[in-house]
Amino acid sequence: MTTPLGSESGTPKPTREQRGRAEKTRTERILKAFHEEERFGKAYDARLTKRLWGYLKPYRSLLWFSLVVILITSVGAMVRPLIMRSAIDSVVKSGDRAALLRGGVLLASVLLVEQVLGLVQMYAVQVVGARAVTDLRREVFAFVQGLRLGFFDNQLVGRLVSRVTNDTDAILEMFASGALNAVGDLARLIGIVSLMLFLDWKLSLIAFAAVPPMGILIVYVRRNIREAFRAIRAKTSRMNATMNEQVTGMTLIQAFSRQAAAAQEFDESNTSYRDATMSAIKWDSIQDAAIDTVAAVCLALVIMSFGYRRVSFGTLVAFSAYLSQFFEPISQLAQRYTLLQGAMAGAERVFSLLDVVEPDAPPRAAKPARNPEFAVQLEDVNFSYKPGTPVLSGINLVARRGERIALVGPTGSGKTTITALLLRLYEADNGTVRVNGDDVNGLARGELRSRFAVVPQDVVLFPGTVASNVAASEEPNRERVEDVLRRIGALDLFAARERGIDTRVDEYGSNFSSGERQLIAFARALYRDAQILILDEATASVDSDTEARLQRALEELMRGRTALVIAHRLSTVQKADRILVLRKGSVVEQGSHAELMTQGGLYARLHELQFSRTEQETALKSALEHAPELAAGE
Amino acid sequence: MPVRLMGQFYRHAPRYGVGLVLLAAYQLFQWWFDTRMRSAINFATTGHSAQAIALGEMLVMAALGAFIVRVLSRVAIFNAGRIAEYELRREILERLLKLGPSFYRKMSTGEIMSRVTNDLVQVRLLLGFGILNIINTGFALVSALAVTIPISPKLTLASLLTLPFVLLITRGFSKHFYTRTRDNQDALGKMSARVLSSIAGMRVIRSFALEAEEIAAFEKTNQAYLEKSLALARLRGALGPILQATMSIGVLVVFWYGGLMMLHGELDAGGFLAFYRALGRLTWPLISLGFVVGLLQRGRAAFSRLTDIFSAEPDIVDGERLLPALASGALEVKHLCFAYNGRPVLDDVSFELPAGKSLAIVGRTGSGKSSLAVLLARLQPTPHGSVFLDGVDVCDLPLQTVRSSIGYAQQNAFLFSTTVARNIGFSIDEPDEPEAILRIEEAAREACIQDEVLDLPDGFDTVVGERGVQLSGGQKQRVALAAAFASEPKVLVLDDPLSAVDARTERAILAAIDRQRARRGLILITHRVSAAAHCDEIIVLEKGRIVERGTHEELSKNGGIYAIFSEEQRIESELAKLGGVIADEQRVAE
Repeated sequence: MTTPLGSESGTPKPTREQRGRAEKTRTERILKAFHEEERFGKAYDARLTKRLWGYLKPYRSLLWFSLVVILITSVGAMVRPLIMRSAIDSVVKSGDRAALLRGGVLLASVLLVEQVLGLVQMYAVQVVGARAVTDLRREVFAFVQGLRLGFFDNQLVGRLVSRVTNDTDAILEMFASGALNAVGDLARLIGIVSLMLFLDWKLSLIAFAAVPPMGILIVYVRRNIREAFRAIRAKTSRMNATMNEQVTGMTLIQAFSRQAAAAQEFDESNTSYRDATMSAIKWDSIQDAAIDTVAAVCLALVIMSFGYRRVSFGTLVAFSAYLSQFFEPISQLAQRYTLLQGAMAGAERVFSLLDVVEPDAPPRAAKPARNPEFAVQLEDVNFSYKPGTPVLSGINLVARRGERIALVGPTGSGKTTITALLLRLYEADNGTVRVNGDDVNGLARGELRSRFAVVPQDVVLFPGTVASNVAASEEPNRERVEDVLRRIGALDLFAARERGIDTRVDEYGSNFSSGERQLIAFARALYRDAQILILDEATASVDSDTEARLQRALEELMRGRTALVIAHRLSTVQKADRILVLRKGSVVEQGSHAELMTQGGLYARLHELQFSRTEQETALKSALEHAPELAAGE
Repeated sequence: MPVRLMGQFYRHAPRYGVGLVLLAAYQLFQWWFDTRMRSAINFATTGHSAQAIALGEMLVMAALGAFIVRVLSRVAIFNAGRIAEYELRREILERLLKLGPSFYRKMSTGEIMSRVTNDLVQVRLLLGFGILNIINTGFALVSALAVTIPISPKLTLASLLTLPFVLLITRGFSKHFYTRTRDNQDALGKMSARVLSSIAGMRVIRSFALEAEEIAAFEKTNQAYLEKSLALARLRGALGPILQATMSIGVLVVFWYGGLMMLHGELDAGGFLAFYRALGRLTWPLISLGFVVGLLQRGRAAFSRLTDIFSAEPDIVDGERLLPALASGALEVKHLCFAYNGRPVLDDVSFELPAGKSLAIVGRTGSGKSSLAVLLARLQPTPHGSVFLDGVDVCDLPLQTVRSSIGYAQQNAFLFSTTVARNIGFSIDEPDEPEAILRIEEAAREACIQDEVLDLPDGFDTVVGERGVQLSGGQKQRVALAAAFASEPKVLVLDDPLSAVDARTERAILAAIDRQRARRGLILITHRVSAAAHCDEIIVLEKGRIVERGTHEELSKNGGIYAIFSEEQRIESELAKLGGVIADEQRVAE
């Protein structure tokens, strides 16, 4: 199917002198394999074409229209030299001035009609292509939204993005460049050949004799151009990535005095980019000049043959016009072939993604509903991300409606995984997960998840505004957003910004502090107003003012809800009705704060230490009050 | 320094000169071809076969000659443009490598990238495509007119009637073409960003069942891109037909008026065809001329934006003095004051670090300790007369000397998207030499990252991904620490190297830092007393000032901030022990 291009066939021999070099290419090969290189597919693949046709079908009337118009304009282009011939010949032979005028007007009308139709047709094809690709893109995006979460665990984000954008764009490019005109090219070629044969078959042979060498030249040159442009694309992105990275990591480069090495590294990609472009220039110039040259040579040959036997002057004029038209379609066909290859490679990658069968939370046989008074219930649940490495084993857990449960335990003990199972982001290997008494396997994923509001440990903000992030929607209810922010005590924080709750969120929310990002996540959960709250407390430390805000916000958030809190602060834990201590994927202690304290287990020890620490904090703060005043800043 | 646009042109004058001569030769060939073709046709139509055939042979040669000079002329001038682009890009990067924090505060990475990509392309188009077309159009006009005027001045004039329109049309198109292409790219960028954020935030989308909203939000960008690409398509599609229709008027004039002239015997058959051909080869040069006008404007504007980078003055520059071949690494800070954006950050900080000794700088977040760290190696504009290396003001020394003597590992580890080995061996010139590989492995072992690296899919050859996304925060920090170890400076400045590691790893790293101490001076910025206790001297910073100094024992007893830290630390270590037990159990479980 596809062959990885650009992989060096011969590796340098690892002689002592070349060792460094060989090793360098080794690292380069690793990087090359890591960055997926652009590939070309077969130009035609019946299976892919059939599937692509599915997306074009809704617009097929436009497509047929275009096809007809292309044929009409091709005929127009073919007829023009004939009109010229007959007009000139009648002028030369009979001195017919009216014929000249008639010919001129006819020529002008044909040309005008041809151009107008061409304009309409080009646009029609673009509309078909762009709409079909937009449909495909929508489908791919929606499809990705329906894949199970586990699918993303071992996928490179960048590659998935390019399935939706670059690969579909390759298909679009085929239409944008007028691939359909290949039909017109072919028709024109056949038409011109027939007309030339009809006008004077002996003269035609001269032109046709030029076709095989011309064909070989074009195929050869096109292949080099294609390779050069592929190299340019790959090298451009590497070069820009290198520069971007160096600018971002400038402090590191300067701290290590690596400016010279950085400049050299960049120079390597800069040089290879320059060389790739220079190779493209060479082949492009040859292609650019080849058609004119071959047409000129043929014209000269025709004139020479003219010396051997006379034909009419009109025929000569027509012939010279055909000669310049004749080689154009040949070259165009070669170019379109390349685009077709690119489009097919894109289509193949897109379709192979669409062929993935890993649906998110598909319907499964569900156990009958039981214990509706339990908001959340896990019965003998086992789970592993990878077979053989259990993450949860024999988990039993219950949260009554309105109860606050704290999940405590070291990193990797399975706290977050439990919450993922409740939402059915991942599916339990065995055992039953119930929400409000319903087996999660029996609920539609939307319905199940609408029962929860989640605050993840790492806050994710989406492109948009504060308001759209709080509402998790492009059309936020502004009053409600403000109300929610007010209730968690954060409205003043965002209102203070120039554009208030309409402040734009930069990439990764970088224009907000970690405390502000958490507050947005809290507001998002409150806006949702779900029965069950799942909160994964952030570990990052924030200043005391923000900390106080977060505590108040948390209180507001939990009010009147069932809450499962993955707690990192014992102050949060203490507020819980019940505490579950997890270790190695099992619940090791369970009970209220008081119960666990009397048990004197792991929790009691943790608490004791935390308590004495808090006392020290207070002492420290009072000590700092006496420190000399100076505006702090780092 | 190539700070002027014309400078680019002068610098590659030989290439442009060769290109100019070749383009002249090309148009000369064309002129020769058209005029001789006229004679050849006239010979042929009047029965002078032998002359026609002889001329025909020469025409073939002329066509081939034209081919060669045409290809070469393009190669000469386009290459000149590409080489100028290459040089400019190299100059920009070299300038960027010299520029300090004051520049990067003013210009963001995105802004820099946009200039280096978009603006540089505009400059290159001007220097290659632009110059070629200006020269070529000039010669083409001369060459074509040299064919047509002798044939008929009146016909020439008539056929060029449409010229102004062609220029106007292309000029207008070129303007819109540029903006619409940019809009199209922006729309694509927005759509990509939406897809990226959606995939990166997939867990949240699932948890909130936001799939429908996401699809709707994506669809908006999808439709916007559709509209922009169709707007571009309309323009792109319209240009050809409109131009062709306009220019065909000229062709028709030739056909009709020329035909009449032939009828009256004012024009011979060869002349008619030669005229036709000469006019035809003016088509492209004239169309491109319309584009070139816009290109000149944009290229000049783009170049002035690049000049913002070229003309930026580095705020941290090399000093002139040289240190004795081997710096011992004694560091002294005298009355260092530093303000950032008018806000004082450090106030009268003084301390001494004799060669091979260690110093801990302890303080809370915002106390100024990280600012102090970056000032030592002049990563921020260090004030004159405040930091001395072996008794010499670091401002008087070459930056290379200062920075290779004072190694700095930053708190927020930045990794390059290459292999783990390359990141650790960042400071090593030949990172693939066997000795270098040993050094990298040794540094990894010292930073307690070796075992985890070996567990990665490709060990040391694992690509860490953009900004090290394939590694955890703690792993990134230790890779950065290993890089600092591998650079083997005289003084090692470590900014909070333990903030993201577990207790067990912390102990191992502290042991490694102790070993490092035997070889070099060490400044440890930390808020952990357990780490500070390892150092010979400790200073405590609070709001930019040194509020306490002494040894761990002294400071623990004097009841100040450090003593409070120390007590806090004791509790933390208790907690850590407990965590260590849990972590051990986890390891067993895994």
